[in-house]
Amino acid sequence: MEIRFTLNHNNVTVVVEPNLRLLDLLRNKFNLTGTKEGCSIGECGACTVIMNGKAVNSCLVLAGQCEGAEIITIEGIDKDGKLHPLQVNFLKSGAVQCGFCTPGMIMSAYALLLENPNPTEEEIKDAIAGNLCRCTGYKQIIEAVEKSAKEVER
Amino acid sequence: MIPVKEILLPKTVDEVCRLLQNNNGLSKIIAGGTDLVPGFHIESPRFTSIERLIDINNVNELKTVSVVDDHISIGSAISFSELISNPVINEKLPLLAKASRTIGSTQIRNRATLGGNFINNAPCADSVAPLLVYDAEIKIKSFAEEKIMKLQEFLVKPYVTRLKPDEIVTNIIVPNPSEKFRGDFYKLGRRRAVSISRISLAILLDVNNGLINEMRIASGAVTPIGSRFYDVEQFAKGKYFSDESIKEIAIKLGDRILEVSGIRWSSEYKIPVVQQVCYQLLKKIERG
Repeated sequence: MEIRFTLNHNNVTVVVEPNLRLLDLLRNKFNLTGTKEGCSIGECGACTVIMNGKAVNSCLVLAGQCEGAEIITIEGIDKDGKLHPLQVNFLKSGAVQCGFCTPGMIMSAYALLLENPNPTEEEIKDAIAGNLCRCTGYKQIIEAVEKSAKEVER
Repeated sequence: MIPVKEILLPKTVDEVCRLLQNNNGLSKIIAGGTDLVPGFHIESPRFTSIERLIDINNVNELKTVSVVDDHISIGSAISFSELISNPVINEKLPLLAKASRTIGSTQIRNRATLGGNFINNAPCADSVAPLLVYDAEIKIKSFAEEKIMKLQEFLVKPYVTRLKPDEIVTNIIVPNPSEKFRGDFYKLGRRRAVSISRISLAILLDVNNGLINEMRIASGAVTPIGSRFYDVEQFAKGKYFSDESIKEIAIKLGDRILEVSGIRWSSEYKIPVVQQVCYQLLKKIERG
């Protein structure tokens, strides 16, 4: 089936098998390998992307369901070649250890800041509750999101 | 391996009903996909024969919340995130709002729908206990007819409902709860986020001059499917609300759950905990 949607602010048209997941479409057809496959059942959040302004697990969305959607991945949040504040602060705060959960974490945080530019610590924890970090660097991750909120707001 | 060969994207309920006509089980409705897609992934036998998916995310009439006369009508394809942020749901059906907040993660709540939660009829579906104490009914449509059924009747046994292959649940209809009711919902999982319920309890309570005028109680995860406990409700009716009487109610609830579920490996843990949860919830509701 042929689907049209916007991917990282560009219109794209692509022919997909109806049994293809959004995750596979991003990684295999568009080479956007920042989005990771972890558990494949919606529990770890490594595959989180933004769909129509909301964080979703791309392992649970079929590509065929994306007709007309707006999809943003970790590769689509920088501006004019400059990293997004979330990316900068994850690096500065030591919030990246093995790095596998990082793109998903950042996308969940990105979705949070779209809706709530000034989140409390509890709201940040809630927003990333669906993202597992096995290096357990949660404290640094929360700090990085807090710092970014202040910068994005300005 | 995902067996799907075709995905259709209708925009109206009429179109959905037409597509479901003569469905021999090869077609299935998909909304959030948060049960279906992991089900495909683990090759659940419930889903291996599905060839055609009918995606209802573009059917706007299934995503509305409206107050009509004396009831609230909720579209079946509304996501839990939409429910949580809906002012009508928060004001009129606070137990449903609270239960919705405990489901999955932000990512799951952004996709998973209220209808999908009980149509799958998993024992742990968190929206079921609140919907049952609110006496929810559901509206079902097919190409040929439209009917309304009590949610409790719709739910048959784990993973089985009365939904026929050519039907769609379009609305959840909840009578406006009496303003005398106060209530609460509690969920116990193995962790706080992204957890499957081990025990959930929803209670509505109307105490007048110290007397229990009406109590409604429903559970999830401790019985084979979410259930109301009408005999416990009868037992509570007319009793003076006291520490003693709510202990008796909690004990009665535990006995009743044992009768329904039989002794399981987890009973030794679950029964005392569910009794304690019931006792604490009643106390908390009464304190306000």
